[in-house]
Amino acid sequence: MFKKKHATSAVTLKETWKDGDAVTKLTFFIMGLNALRHRQWLKGFSLLFAEIIFLIWFFLSGIHSIAGLSNLGAIKSKRVVFDKAQGVYITQQPDNSVLILLFGILALFIVAGFIYLYIVNLRSNKHTFLLEKRHEHIPTNHEEIASLFDQRLHATLMTIPIVLIILFTVLPTVFMISMAFTNYDRQHSVGFSWTGFQAFGNVLSGDLAGTFFPVLGWTLIWAVAATATTFFFGVLLALLIESKGIKHKNVWRTIFIIVYAVPQFVSLLMMAQFLDYQGPLNTLLMNWGWISHPIHFIDNQASPLIARITVIVVNMWIGIPVSMLTSTAIIQNLPQDQIEAARIDGASPVQIFNHITFPQILFVMSPALIQQFIGNINNFNVIYLLTGGAPMNNNYNGAGSTDLLVTWLYNLTFGQEQRYNASAVLGILIFIISATFSLIAYRHTNAYKEG
Amino acid sequence: MKLWKKLALGSVVALSAISLTACGKSSNSNESKSSDKQLTLWVDTARVSWYKGVVKDFEKEHPNIKVKVTQNPNGSANAKTDVGKDPSKAADVFSVPNDQLGQMADSGYINPLSPSDTKAIKNNSVSEAYKGAEWKGKLYAYPYAEQAQTVYYDKSKLSPEDVKSWKTLTSKGVVATDFTNVYVMWPVMFSAGTKLFGNNGEDVKGSTFDSQNGVNAMKWYAEQKNNKGVMQTSNALNQLKKGNAQAILDGPWNAANIKKILGKNLGVAPYPTIEVGGKTAQMEAFLGVECFAVNSHTSNAKNAAILAKYLTNKENQLIVHKNTGEVPVNIAAQNTAAVKNDPVAKAVLQMTQPGYSVLQPKLPQMSIFWNDAAPLVSGAYDGKIKPSQYKSKLAKLQKNISKKE
Amino acid sequence: MKSYSNQRRFALIFRYVLLAILAVLWIFPIIWIILASFSYNNTGFVSTIWPEKFTWQNYVGILTSSQYPFVNWVLNTLFVAVISATLSTFVTIAVAYVLSRLRFRFRKPFLQIALVLGMFPGFMSMIALYYILKALNMLNLGGLILVYVGGAGLGFYIAKGFFDTMPRAIDEAAEIDGANKWQVFVHIGLPLSKPMIVYTALTSFMAPWVDFIFSGIILSTSGNPKTYTVAYGLYNMVHSAKGTMAQFFTQFIAGCVIIAIPITILFIVMQKFYVNGITAGADKG
Repeated sequence: MFKKKHATSAVTLKETWKDGDAVTKLTFFIMGLNALRHRQWLKGFSLLFAEIIFLIWFFLSGIHSIAGLSNLGAIKSKRVVFDKAQGVYITQQPDNSVLILLFGILALFIVAGFIYLYIVNLRSNKHTFLLEKRHEHIPTNHEEIASLFDQRLHATLMTIPIVLIILFTVLPTVFMISMAFTNYDRQHSVGFSWTGFQAFGNVLSGDLAGTFFPVLGWTLIWAVAATATTFFFGVLLALLIESKGIKHKNVWRTIFIIVYAVPQFVSLLMMAQFLDYQGPLNTLLMNWGWISHPIHFIDNQASPLIARITVIVVNMWIGIPVSMLTSTAIIQNLPQDQIEAARIDGASPVQIFNHITFPQILFVMSPALIQQFIGNINNFNVIYLLTGGAPMNNNYNGAGSTDLLVTWLYNLTFGQEQRYNASAVLGILIFIISATFSLIAYRHTNAYKEG
Repeated sequence: MKLWKKLALGSVVALSAISLTACGKSSNSNESKSSDKQLTLWVDTARVSWYKGVVKDFEKEHPNIKVKVTQNPNGSANAKTDVGKDPSKAADVFSVPNDQLGQMADSGYINPLSPSDTKAIKNNSVSEAYKGAEWKGKLYAYPYAEQAQTVYYDKSKLSPEDVKSWKTLTSKGVVATDFTNVYVMWPVMFSAGTKLFGNNGEDVKGSTFDSQNGVNAMKWYAEQKNNKGVMQTSNALNQLKKGNAQAILDGPWNAANIKKILGKNLGVAPYPTIEVGGKTAQMEAFLGVECFAVNSHTSNAKNAAILAKYLTNKENQLIVHKNTGEVPVNIAAQNTAAVKNDPVAKAVLQMTQPGYSVLQPKLPQMSIFWNDAAPLVSGAYDGKIKPSQYKSKLAKLQKNISKKE
Repeated sequence: MKSYSNQRRFALIFRYVLLAILAVLWIFPIIWIILASFSYNNTGFVSTIWPEKFTWQNYVGILTSSQYPFVNWVLNTLFVAVISATLSTFVTIAVAYVLSRLRFRFRKPFLQIALVLGMFPGFMSMIALYYILKALNMLNLGGLILVYVGGAGLGFYIAKGFFDTMPRAIDEAAEIDGANKWQVFVHIGLPLSKPMIVYTALTSFMAPWVDFIFSGIILSTSGNPKTYTVAYGLYNMVHSAKGTMAQFFTQFIAGCVIIAIPITILFIVMQKFYVNGITAGADKG
């Protein structure tokens, strides 16, 4: 790869233009021409068709799409008129800013893609020109195709995934980021405009700030607690099952895994009823005489503290089995010699766990733990299905005491208020938080040196 | 020359271009929908089956209009968000409660009705139905039923006299209700003498619960916590069934479920009187009007209006009553024997009278109200809000919802 | 010596007891869910451990309901799951293999971008995805498959970790023998990664069975319950209107139990592959 780069840089684009023949020159305008001359049909035609399709699209709709980005549509408000012919009122709708924004961004992507292709075309032209000049062998069509399955296999295999990622992940993400800079909300649900950092102001210092910072605090506490508890007890459970003398290890593991295997929208919705004030658990505890009054675990009368503890405990119920499974695999692969040596030296099982087993598991698991931490910051299901944010909090705006940033974001988007721009801001802030934490964590673990 | 990788990207361009042209086409196709295309109708899931019969009769009367009945994706209670998600894909005619009409009209999802239809509804319907569907002086939907919560009680345990006042109701039995539900609990504020968005529910600056009367209502919520006859629950039906409660506050949509539980012991009565602020007042409820509205994105506004009008005529209001127990708003329909002999309808009709209920306001600010009022009522009830904070919390809510949009 | 063995026996018994208690705690709510699916109940709330009255009606009801076509939902989900599992597995394995075994200029940037993209919460992109699918005229099961497969290219971490642990010498030997990279991928890489393929396929197979939010956003527009997947259908069944919770709750549980059984079995089967995959990834870090 390095060599090739060196070879092509032996001639500049300027020289290619100056010294090239008519076809070489023309290739600066008609993509793939030089390739076609050398019978590299696939490459030549691909470039040529790409250019034709692009130009047709660009002048028919591309320009229009990109221009729309400037103001997201000129007509911002609706007009209601009476249609005499039909005898009914008709609403003339404002320009649909969502579509203008979305397809404007898509159009920018396409233009960027095309510019890239054009650069590719120029480079190819330059390279071919160089080969011509040196009277070297110019790859045939067949050789080019063959290279797709060898030196360039990565291109062949990655094309479809990259197209899909751009269309279904990158584009929506860019769209979401853009939304944070608009006034897209309930009052501007069809035609909205750019408003700069106004929505950020609302979240960080405006009417949502009093909710944002406390919810952020709880989100971080939750993420730390949820990750730590499931990990720590998962390791203990794995050690217990793996310990000498326990028979039918697979059966034991399966019992725990069943909990994780049941779809969460079933297990958590039912768990919410199980823990209800008048639910089975309270009834059971009362019948056994363990408590004299039912406990408010997660309903609206619950104290925020109890509700938050309950949520973390229920998350352990769901999370420990997975973490048990992962640590089992690691324990099975731990080097035994160190442990044996420690045992001969008279170390107690607790000492062995504290000084050898646990640190080793922690070391191996740290990247996975960081990912779990990020996952817990965005853990929608547990909160949404179990508490729905309850208990309510009269100091918050649209969130309850157990709501995480991500469930609050969901409420803002799909709930009563429909503040799309604010939830986009939240999305960006969640990203910044996650990125910062994982950056710090990766730096400290050193486990992620090689991507 | 790492050309092939880039060539691959060429296909990205091509693919995207194709997709773009495809979008161009599909976004055009909304306007080019031919007018003879069939209309779609959204009703609540449980009603789809018998509305199919209604629609069949409609198609017989109007052979040139074809109608397809499907369900409101998330129920008519969420019509605003379901339609708002993508109005061009929403149904031409859909079922919606009246409180969402203001927001939908302001967002341009629905159009005012034609003058002739407006006049017909004004003449044929009870006045609260007309008011319920009216927004800024124009009618925006076709009302077909009204509903207000009532008391459902076990006749074998409580007498009709017992349920006339909250005091006897909660001393002789237990009433199960939910203080986290603003829809059920806020109207106590009305009994205490406060207003939500003025007399007609359209005055942004017209709320008066930031006052001593409002504080009185908050005190009433707090008192109920210590009232042994009041049970806070998220599952009132279950408590009724188990016999832990003898009465619940609920709406006609649950009448069928309650009937299954109580059988012939089912008793229905208007809300009792309560004592709030040292005075005896009628406990009030929110009055809701169920409507059919026409999507402003419809390809054929005229046919859609014909359908909506047909669905809300006298005969079909009676069909709705027969199937769901909801009370018709058509004056002639209310006077039929079927409605007059229905105890649930009788109680609901009583509740629709002035002094018993208040129309749900239609202001878009209501979406802020629903969000913020719930923790307030619930907090007053369970003591998370201290009496000293009542005034300031009420003031904050009133300020939040009184902002012009 | 004897006291030592006594002590060990006691310790073992203690561990068994502890394990048994934990197992009961864990499995108890699940058993309650199954019991609840057999209970006769019309209030939308199950307040007892042991049903007051047993009935098969919930299962009969959910399987024969015309309003909620459960069988259609299962078939739809099966369709989505099979196709999306096939395509996603190919995408994930290909991407993971390329990123692990091949070296090219875009590799590092791609890994970084993938990491960054994974940190944005998914909900906001749903609005955009809705309109993209609408533009493609694919607000249906096909669109759902497309989006599931579209996300597969970013779910390569575990598989990549697996490939990272395979010794490079195998590839090099094959290449010396004259095989091109495609042949190495097909004839060496894929056969060796069988456990990873099974794991990836099963994970993507299970995803459509539990996704009730995104599938709802895509499929609800049609308003036609016959086109729903099972997760959204069931969720919608008790959340779609006032009063339906009371009416259909036990049928909802029955439906949930029916789909939970095969998923649980699949998951238990998958355990082994899951463990292999995770360790392979974790070893590498």
